Amino acid sequence: MAFVLRRLGFYVAAFFVAATINFILPRLMPGNPIDIMFSQAQGTIPPEARAALIETFGFATGAIHEQYFSYLKSVFTGDLGYSIRFYPQTVGERLGYALPWTLLLAGTATVMAFCIGSLMGVFAAWKRGGAFDAVITPSSLALQAIPPVVIALVALFVFGVMLRWLPTGYAYNPGLDPEFSLRYLGSVFYHAIMPVCSLMIVFVGGYLVTMRNNMIGQLGEDHVIMGLAKGLSERRVKFNYAARNALLPSVTSLGLTLGAILGGSLVTEVVFNYPGLGQTLYIGIVSRDYPLIQGQLLIMTLAILTANLIVDLAYVLLDPRLRRA
Amino acid sequence: MLETLKVFLRNRKAAIGLAIVLGYVAVALIGPLFLAADPMARVGRPHMPPDADALMGTTRMGRDVFAQLIYGTRTSLAVGFFAGLLVVAIGTVLGIAAGYFGGLIDEVINFCTNVVLVIPQLPLLLVIAAFLGQTSPFVIAIIIGITSWAWGARVTRAQTMSLRRREYIQASELVGEPAHRMIFVELMPNLLSIIGFNFIGSVTYTIITQATLEFLGLGNPMAVSWGTMLYHAQNSSAIAVGAWWEILAPAAAVAGIGIGLSLLNFGVDEISNPRLRTLGTIAAAAKAQEKLDRARAQGKLQEAAQ
Repeated sequence: MAFVLRRLGFYVAAFFVAATINFILPRLMPGNPIDIMFSQAQGTIPPEARAALIETFGFATGAIHEQYFSYLKSVFTGDLGYSIRFYPQTVGERLGYALPWTLLLAGTATVMAFCIGSLMGVFAAWKRGGAFDAVITPSSLALQAIPPVVIALVALFVFGVMLRWLPTGYAYNPGLDPEFSLRYLGSVFYHAIMPVCSLMIVFVGGYLVTMRNNMIGQLGEDHVIMGLAKGLSERRVKFNYAARNALLPSVTSLGLTLGAILGGSLVTEVVFNYPGLGQTLYIGIVSRDYPLIQGQLLIMTLAILTANLIVDLAYVLLDPRLRRA
Repeated sequence: MLETLKVFLRNRKAAIGLAIVLGYVAVALIGPLFLAADPMARVGRPHMPPDADALMGTTRMGRDVFAQLIYGTRTSLAVGFFAGLLVVAIGTVLGIAAGYFGGLIDEVINFCTNVVLVIPQLPLLLVIAAFLGQTSPFVIAIIIGITSWAWGARVTRAQTMSLRRREYIQASELVGEPAHRMIFVELMPNLLSIIGFNFIGSVTYTIITQATLEFLGLGNPMAVSWGTMLYHAQNSSAIAVGAWWEILAPAAAVAGIGIGLSLLNFGVDEISNPRLRTLGTIAAAAKAQEKLDRARAQGKLQEAAQ
């Protein structure tokens, strides 16, 4: 419990740092931050909206520490201001609409990559140097070094344009209304296949290699040799004796790669025209919608910290030493 | 030195990786010498498929994809190596400082490292790059460098802490060696493999990240690099109109250097961590070691004879 509480405290501090970076950055830029923000959006925003934006962003007047506190107050009450590009929508509304799609994409890809990668790592390590290991380990390493944008573009071209097997864009058939029906969910599933798989393929290799290397370390340990000497089944030694211990460093690396997967998801969405944070952000970048770009950092930091907390809880479940402490 | 190189090249992964990377470096250095001076020049009709004139076809603007690719190699490698150096420099200094001095310095650095590790990188880079406006590849290298040091710092700190407990370090401390000598003469040589590992990994990461940022529209669209090539291809719907060459060329280039660098890294890891070697490599390494020992013994004999 103390362990989880300590982590929780750390995550609050980390979020604080991200919010502070967001506060400082526009003020480090030369010139008036409000002018920078609106320079690209001249004419598209009515003057009263401009006043509202200035107010919610805490740019107003006053000493820098007063600005900082009013900014922190609006961030912690969930008020991220208005979007310039999607005005009169607020940043919170806009990102709140996009976030579930990104979580669906990144979440499914993470779970699949971690499970498939770790399982293949166990098998590769068990028969080290065998045919499976010799083929799968170098090729997953190679895949891991290819950026998500490249995999997504190639997948889009091959399966979407050339073979016409899978849809090239959107999260579901635009002719359907979002509802809890088999047809709608089927359409969502069908549209998610290509983005999820191309994202997963990039990250599966990392987990495979981590698991394989941990597992090889475990196989030299006394308790595994003891298990084999006792005449336990291969399966039992493999999974209950070696893999369970080898999984701990893998879980740590899972926590560290979450940010990279989320980043990969942003790019994948742009390629597949998927209505998540990445695509919203792309529109925001093109139209220099600074409140939107800043808001996404906070929302994604929050998502990553929450996911890390879940990983910590999993760690407590896997490692009995932490439960006793 | 030559012996070390031999042991290194005996590892197949390291040798192939090194060959790929050196190939890219050669293209970046001498490739543009054989091409027209301006990769942004209009050389043909828009979206011409590959033929004898334009080896990899043309873009929607009628620019030569092959020429852009070669010039882009120069930009992407330069950014990668520059930012890689930056990442390693910051990570190593902070890691050694935290691991060697301990106490409050360690607490502060370690906290910062952990915070930077959990704040998602790409979103943070997007915010910084957005405020800087359409940034040149060089500026992108700097912002990647100052935001990506955390992993290296963490690994270097852990290794420094474990080295610090070794007897030879404690002995030199008792003798009264000054801190700078302890760090540069006693610690550094034992950290070299981690620093090298960190460097190769950082170069890979930077090349990929730069291409991603530029693809998302945060680079200078007039600069020639693999990322801006992808950006222009995406914006001109190259895939939808079937101009696969415009996407495939930069995509293959990024993938190729990524594979080369990570093979190199994996090879180095295998060489420095014997447990990861497969049986064949272990036998080969044992043989190499035998030869090395023999050569050394002979060298000593000769020295003695003189």
